[in-house]
Amino acid sequence: MKYYKRLRPSLGTFVEIGTREKSVNKECAIDEAFNAVARVNKLLSFHNPNSELSRLNNSYGKEIELHPISMRVLKLAKLIGQYSNGLFNCTVAGILVDKGVLPNHFDSDHLKSGNCNDIELYKNHARLCRPVLISLDGIAKGYAVDYAIFTLKKHGLETGWVNAGGDLRVYGDILLPTQRRELTGGFSNLGNLHNAALSTSWIKPHHDQSYPSWIVAGNKGKPVEGTWSILAKKSWLADALTKVAGLVTQEKRSILIEQLGGKLVQPVSG
Amino acid sequence: MDKQEWTSLLLLPAVVIAGPSSTYAAEYLNAEQAQKTLFPEADKFIAQPIKLTKEQKKEIKSLSGLRQRWEVQAVWRVKQDNTFVGWFIVDDVVGKHEFITYAAALSPDGHVIGIDIMSYRETHGDEIREASWRDHLKGKTLDDRFKLDEDVPNISGATLSCRNVMDGVKRLLSLQQVVLSDEIL
Repeated sequence: MKYYKRLRPSLGTFVEIGTREKSVNKECAIDEAFNAVARVNKLLSFHNPNSELSRLNNSYGKEIELHPISMRVLKLAKLIGQYSNGLFNCTVAGILVDKGVLPNHFDSDHLKSGNCNDIELYKNHARLCRPVLISLDGIAKGYAVDYAIFTLKKHGLETGWVNAGGDLRVYGDILLPTQRRELTGGFSNLGNLHNAALSTSWIKPHHDQSYPSWIVAGNKGKPVEGTWSILAKKSWLADALTKVAGLVTQEKRSILIEQLGGKLVQPVSG
Repeated sequence: MDKQEWTSLLLLPAVVIAGPSSTYAAEYLNAEQAQKTLFPEADKFIAQPIKLTKEQKKEIKSLSGLRQRWEVQAVWRVKQDNTFVGWFIVDDVVGKHEFITYAAALSPDGHVIGIDIMSYRETHGDEIREASWRDHLKGKTLDDRFKLDEDVPNISGATLSCRNVMDGVKRLLSLQQVVLSDEIL
């Protein structure tokens, strides 16, 4: 079977969008899907001082009107924060700003971390009740994948996939062969993906150029070194659950991930 | 069943597969396809390869902070209904582990209209020899056709930065300023 696929830099990484070669309207649908990813990036980028997320982070105590996409991602982040008993925590950006990993383009002082109850959501407004800094890096890339898939479907594509720097989702009658990038630099096979989302996060003891991403614990959990891959129906959930998997103890990991709607995936050797 | 298949609804037992490999490569668009993607309305692409002098290379470096490694840059002047609408440039990024060929569409006044990756190759370890890199350099003219890979796996893993490509585009904007700016007038 022949495929048509494109790769663009976006979300700080590379985003691949593909479908069958014979799909009608594929160029236009994929252009629109890239636009959808760019829209999520523009709204929710921590690095961009003009994003809606930065506006919220800079407005502690005030009600801020937000785009439905921003509202949706904040709602999902709150939900998974509550259901995971705080292991998923989108209010830890203060720690990363203090370490110099994330930029500090805010006017006032911030807490190192908080919890999901620090975010109040109304119909189309949000408010931070304490001066926490929100980073949606653990969930927004996955959401961008879901939004791009929604866009491909809306444009009539019966099948397709989106891979945003390792957050991958496929739908329709494609069996997508997948590999996982390992800490050692090699790749191992994870099998074929069909109508599902797959995300992977690394936790390494030391940060360097080859490992620029950070996963930190708020007041819950402790980062466990390893490579964590999660299968779920939606990409936002797979993305978020990789962070939960990296912070929970070995004994509880599989059960907790399944309770939250995902499945821990391991490569299969020879 | 001889392959591990994952679906969100039905989680099938695992049986598989081969051991780890340490290279990854994928082809996306050839130059002609990238032109159509980035300038869908345009009707004329006039090849205008640029040969840079030492001074021009220095100037690009001082403007962008990035080294212009090669003397010749593949550039096309783009027209629509006989009006000049921008530049189409094919460029390479050579990183420690990756080799990327991409196309950039720049507007006459020096803005990025769009970027599309034409081919992406990365390696970990030492098994890529120079010859492989040379092979990779093929396929950058309108006459070369890529065969789109059918079985290249998708990679799930820690996010890779696209910074090298964004730096490359920054360098091309400086190149435009140094070499192509007179063309606007």
